[in-house]
Amino acid sequence: MNGWILAATVTLGGGVGATVWGVATGPLGRRVVAQNLCTAFACPALLLLSQGSDRPSYVDLALVLALLGPVGTLVFARLLAEELAEDPPSAWGLTYAAAAVGAVVVLAVCVTVGPSRAMAKLLVVGVLLIGGNLVASRALSGGFPELRRG
Amino acid sequence: MADAVIVVALLLVAVSATAAVAVRDPVRQALVLAVLGVVLAVLFTVLQAPDVALSQLAVGSALTPLLLLLAVHKVKRRGRKEGRHR
Amino acid sequence: MSRRVRLWLLAVGGAGLATLFVAAALDLPALGGDHHPYGDRAVHASLARHTANVIASVNFDQRAFDTLGEMTILFAAVVGCGVLLRQTRDEHRDRPAPEKVARPVRRHALLVLPVALLTGLYVIAHGQLSPGGGFQGGVVAATSLHLLYLGADYRALERVRPVGLYETGDAIATSAYVVTGLAGLIGGTAFLANTVLPYGTFNTLSSGGTVPLLNAAVGMEVACAVVVLLARFLDQAVEIEEGNGK
Repeated sequence: MNGWILAATVTLGGGVGATVWGVATGPLGRRVVAQNLCTAFACPALLLLSQGSDRPSYVDLALVLALLGPVGTLVFARLLAEELAEDPPSAWGLTYAAAAVGAVVVLAVCVTVGPSRAMAKLLVVGVLLIGGNLVASRALSGGFPELRRG
Repeated sequence: MADAVIVVALLLVAVSATAAVAVRDPVRQALVLAVLGVVLAVLFTVLQAPDVALSQLAVGSALTPLLLLLAVHKVKRRGRKEGRHR
Repeated sequence: MSRRVRLWLLAVGGAGLATLFVAAALDLPALGGDHHPYGDRAVHASLARHTANVIASVNFDQRAFDTLGEMTILFAAVVGCGVLLRQTRDEHRDRPAPEKVARPVRRHALLVLPVALLTGLYVIAHGQLSPGGGFQGGVVAATSLHLLYLGADYRALERVRPVGLYETGDAIATSAYVVTGLAGLIGGTAFLANTVLPYGTFNTLSSGGTVPLLNAAVGMEVACAVVVLLARFLDQAVEIEEGNGK
């Protein structure tokens, strides 16, 4: 049990655990934000697990999650635009915090890996994760202003 | 892998799955199912099955919620039309 | 049968099942032991054929026939959905008006679409080397295409997605899998035997014999099948309306 796996356990237990609670209770706005942040916390956890168990192939998992997680949030943002328009959810503090966690984890793993193709892949994952997280949050809080038919 | 992370992942899956059953409204259930998908993928990774985790991520993160919400959208639209004609 | 009798029956059956479950669980080997007779043999066979990803070797080489079954199940499911969700005579199509989407969302969707498509193709192509393969990469590629609907407009998606083409692609990919299997028969061994192509260098893109070919066939099949499936759902949810049109 090295430091990486400990960090992954903390991210999972704290971050993803909080999002599981957030998505199961409360108004619709909170649930959608929780679903968005679930991706933002699970992706760094996967990166930490990949570094901790010395399996660089797990970075592919983080890459696919960083790509498709925000797509999932966009699905909800678009198809629930009418319900969300009444009470636009905005949790920018939490969103920036999650983005910061992601950035810190990506930088830490990049520094450990050293300049190579693996580091380039990690940087791509980081950019997709943070960019996707921020854009998905923007989409939730008013990205589809006049949706009529879907 | 260390035992603590396996226990945490298993607990998360148990809680998410119970929440998915306890939530009755299809839209909210779709949200919980999306989170359950991600948590399951993390569990598979922790148990050293990355291929299965990748399949779960690919299907559960965007495809399943999209199918569910499109079905709900269609049913709601039909209900709204009937309400208007009445 | 009254409700009470039913509940008692459920309780008795459940208690029996629980007892058997607990007895079996107490007899299981510990989590994460190192006695894996089937795993050892599978890994040995996979390495003998220069396939780095043992799962891909099991799926597309040692038990390729099962994967053929799974692929045809997906094909049949999509055909069934197509039949169920087709436009019937008492429905008509109503073109949706173009929708307004916030600028950053639209830009993000159009930027991420090629990246996601490339990632899907990358996952398919590296199936025999790293976790992934035809199914996973195919779903990623198909989902990436629908960023056009999520981030822009349904009409934008319709323009890049002539459904007939994808249905044809689905059928062609399924046939390609079967034909690759037949090559094994023609080559003198068995259906779907991995003896037709040289095994190549371990841990490079050209390794594993027919595994990359079957991977590509499954990838194309899954991508086309998912696109067609989502097309049916989207048509019903967005376009098709009841009534004969006015």
